[in-house]
Amino acid sequence: MIHFDNVTKVYVNQNRPALDHISVDVDKGEFVFLVGPSGSGKSTFLRLVLKEERPNSGAIHVAGKDLSKLSNFKVPHLRRRIGCVFQDFRLLPNKNVYENVAFALEVIGKPRRFIRKVVPEVIELVGLEGKAHRMPDELSGGEQQRVAMARAFVNRPMILLADEPTGNIDPATSIGIMKVLDRINRTGTTVLMATHDAAIVDSMRKRVVELEDGKIVRDQSRGVYGQAY
Amino acid sequence: MRANFIFSEVWIGLRRNLTMTIAVVVTVAVGMALLGIGLMINSQVSSMTSYWSDKVELSVYLCKENSPFEPCTDKKGISEEQKTALEAVIKGMPQVEEVIFEDSATAYKNFLDNQSNNVFASFLKVEDMPESFRVKLGDPDQSQAVTEELTGQAGVSNIVNQRQLLDSYFGFMDKLQWMALSVAFAMVFAATLLIGNTVRLSAFNRRRETGIMRLVGASNVYIQLPFVLEGVIAGLIGGVLAAVMLITSKVLIFDSIQNFVPEALGWNTVAGIISGTMAIGVIICILASFITLRRYLRV
Repeated sequence: MIHFDNVTKVYVNQNRPALDHISVDVDKGEFVFLVGPSGSGKSTFLRLVLKEERPNSGAIHVAGKDLSKLSNFKVPHLRRRIGCVFQDFRLLPNKNVYENVAFALEVIGKPRRFIRKVVPEVIELVGLEGKAHRMPDELSGGEQQRVAMARAFVNRPMILLADEPTGNIDPATSIGIMKVLDRINRTGTTVLMATHDAAIVDSMRKRVVELEDGKIVRDQSRGVYGQAY
Repeated sequence: MRANFIFSEVWIGLRRNLTMTIAVVVTVAVGMALLGIGLMINSQVSSMTSYWSDKVELSVYLCKENSPFEPCTDKKGISEEQKTALEAVIKGMPQVEEVIFEDSATAYKNFLDNQSNNVFASFLKVEDMPESFRVKLGDPDQSQAVTEELTGQAGVSNIVNQRQLLDSYFGFMDKLQWMALSVAFAMVFAATLLIGNTVRLSAFNRRRETGIMRLVGASNVYIQLPFVLEGVIAGLIGGVLAAVMLITSKVLIFDSIQNFVPEALGWNTVAGIISGTMAIGVIICILASFITLRRYLRV
């Protein structure tokens, strides 16, 4: 599903590569934690999957497509198959829960009847039934992140990228968020989650890829955050 | 494509940037109106030029007794033989199409017909009017050459080249036209910058939305179209206002000088000019929007 082959990314004006000859394979339906300290290259990894950045060398395949051969014109179609969740939720403050989720379908031109059918389903899936007409500022941080997950998942993507989704949320609420991610993973969606949260990684017992200074130092199935912690 | 969605985005954008939108509408309106007026003057002048060119004559005035003009030094006036000789010379010129002799009586009658100033007419007598040859040319552009050739012929007091009178009038119209066009050009330039700025503000106001649209895979058209349409709608409103100004100026200015000009500006020409300026306004808006979006809305 995601295939990195000897990928190096160096940002302009920086000597040290953000990613240094990375090779990694993520299969369909896998749940992978991407761990490592700040600046280790986790976010760069996710940006490369979305083709927001281009690698300096190496090949990246996402959902069967070679990204180096994907024209700019087709990048939106790639992104429709990838859902994204961020630490800062990125909801539209002037739209309610339902409208925030529906927005993701409206802007890719889905018919209204389809939107009316799937949006309530997804809102229920993330555990926000009955709150469809709340505004984002009336929701807790955990609930806002659920809205963001509903928006990322509403188009049934093949891959869900989560960049520190529990970064702004207390540990108790984080468990709920992880349950939703697990539920999404069980529908067959590949989940790739970058995180600092050792407790979560240890409790989930999923595959762990650890980055340090742009290199993979550990790739372990059913792993924990790290022996040192 | 969901038209509803796009238009609601456009409406939100226009409302949020109301002051900028008004500025765009006003500059486009004034710029296009001036451009249109320049074009209207141009078409008026060219239709008048072709009309007058057919009618341009040289008036070759002849010496009379005690004529004050310099060439008539002998103060005796032109003799019959000289008159016949002169007519032969004029008729012999290749550029000349037709020669008509106008005697004092006809000249006096024509003068009275054209003059409303009765005081002036009351002390003018038939004998005061000079005789003249009215020379019509095949090619009006040759008038200067013919004038030069006939100056100095015996019995010729002076030559009035109507062409020169018209030229000074057309020269004035020409300057007016260029003034309107250059102000129009400046306004169009200002409008372009204003539209660019408006679109940039819009893009900044909605960077959250466009960021999410990018993320969930909205196509470039979907992301950019609302911004471009904002520019187009502002341009169209400006164009409509410009059309109103052009119609007003046609009715108030061009129709009022209809009495002085032989060929009035037709509604067909005005309609053509209005649609032309509108098209230019909208195209400028589209281009300005696109160029700005390329810089501020990377997809």
